[in-house]
Amino acid sequence: MTEPPKEPVKYVDANVYLPYHYVAGDFRAIYLNGLREGKILGSKDSKTGKIFVPPILNSPESFAPCEEIVQLDDRGTVTTFCVVNIPVIGRDLEIPYVAASVALDGAAISIFALIQKCKADEVRMGMRVEAVWKPAAERTGDHTDIQYFRPTGEPDAPRESYINRL
Amino acid sequence: MSALRNVALVGFAQGPIVARDRHRMSTEMLYPVVREALAQVGATRDDIAYQVSASTDYMDGRPFGFVAALDVMGSWPPRQDLHLEMDGSFAAYYAWLKIQAGEADSAIVCGHGKTSEGEPERILNLALDPYYQAPIGLGPTATSALQASAYMARTGATDADLAAVAARSRAAGAKNPDTQVREAAAATALQRTDWAVEPLRTGYLPPIGESATCLVIAAEGKAEKLCERPVWIQGVDHRSEMQSLGARDLSRSAGAKLAGEKALAMADVGAAKDVDLVELMATTPVEELILCEALGLDATAKKPVVNPSGGPLCGHPIMSTGLVRLGEVFRQLTGTAGERGVAGARRALAHASMGHCLQQNIVWVLGAQRRWS
Repeated sequence: MTEPPKEPVKYVDANVYLPYHYVAGDFRAIYLNGLREGKILGSKDSKTGKIFVPPILNSPESFAPCEEIVQLDDRGTVTTFCVVNIPVIGRDLEIPYVAASVALDGAAISIFALIQKCKADEVRMGMRVEAVWKPAAERTGDHTDIQYFRPTGEPDAPRESYINRL
Repeated sequence: MSALRNVALVGFAQGPIVARDRHRMSTEMLYPVVREALAQVGATRDDIAYQVSASTDYMDGRPFGFVAALDVMGSWPPRQDLHLEMDGSFAAYYAWLKIQAGEADSAIVCGHGKTSEGEPERILNLALDPYYQAPIGLGPTATSALQASAYMARTGATDADLAAVAARSRAAGAKNPDTQVREAAAATALQRTDWAVEPLRTGYLPPIGESATCLVIAAEGKAEKLCERPVWIQGVDHRSEMQSLGARDLSRSAGAKLAGEKALAMADVGAAKDVDLVELMATTPVEELILCEALGLDATAKKPVVNPSGGPLCGHPIMSTGLVRLGEVFRQLTGTAGERGVAGARRALAHASMGHCLQQNIVWVLGAQRRWS
């Protein structure tokens, strides 16, 4: 006979291992394929004309389909940002670095982006930035196909031009 | 009872049940179905007051995937919403409660899940307790096999009896263009299929599939405007049993029995056998036998017809399987069930379950007539 435990059992380890086989989804696949070709694609709300990027099947706002795919300029405006002082696992980024929301020109909403080629404390709301792509041969249809965004040196965009696209 | 409102099913749309949609995400499968259901009732999204969705993020492994579903259900301007980690039939019950509470006059009820992205057998293992049952690797097939053993030991049912039930489902499913498996199979052929988990053979297991479904329900006054032949909810009852498999008699379903009695009493129907057809969420032949026993039904009788759709044994889109039962009854009672239609059907029973071995059961009694005046 085993001795009963002196201390009551307070917990058990129950690790869960669940494998998954993702599909990107029709519209996300369009976006990722676009990145491989060096294009940022969005989809247009058939009711309001707003452009969502990455493309989505329907407008959450108007409930209308957004099946028309449009290409966006790869430059835009920093709408909001944060300075990160924690290293990212698997990426060789010098800290601190800046993670930002960038509203691409013509898009109704912003995408998340890494800002480089300027000091972290120089980044500001309204700053104009452009994408720096990996060479075509190295692109794989992944978010890192856009290496980062860098300042264009243009004058800052006025607040009212981006405040509703945070 | 007379304080209850008459509430009806007014529209139902279902995506094809497939083993794997290789391109679309769950939300992309759901959007066209919501639009189709709304188009059926000639309503815009703004005409519907409330929404409930049924899904589980474990299935496709996308955390907060149910929140993403809000975008495709048309949740702007903001409206009251509920999400259930249960089959859509239970979501319909919450929508019904919301309407009974006088807080809404209409609702869409959605079920969706991508079973091909995860491994349902492992995922549903997590529905068991983490101390005694989950760690030994029980999945739904193993627990169903325990249940089958218990049932066969108590009643003397044989392998041939199970095969006969499965064959009857498959014959019915052959007439249903909306289900996943549409080939009839002889009982003798099914009886030659390999053991999945003894005493269940692979031929007795449901084809796990994926689909998206949307049901529209509405209260009296609105329902008639949305639908020419509303299918009225005359009675409904929902019972949960203990989670632990060892704490209940797996060979019986006390929950389905009680839910059936209460729902039938609410509908003022004497017995389940008095309706014209029954749609049961039986995911094994043994579940069908147990449910028929609990509800006092003879599945081989001419009336009521049991699972004229072919039932889950011809298509089991997890999170929608029970909602499809309600949808099937809607189609039957509105005369839109096509070749599988039961002639002259006026009243039906729809059942759904959740959890291992029929842990939770919901029973609906539906009819062409309003219940309360």
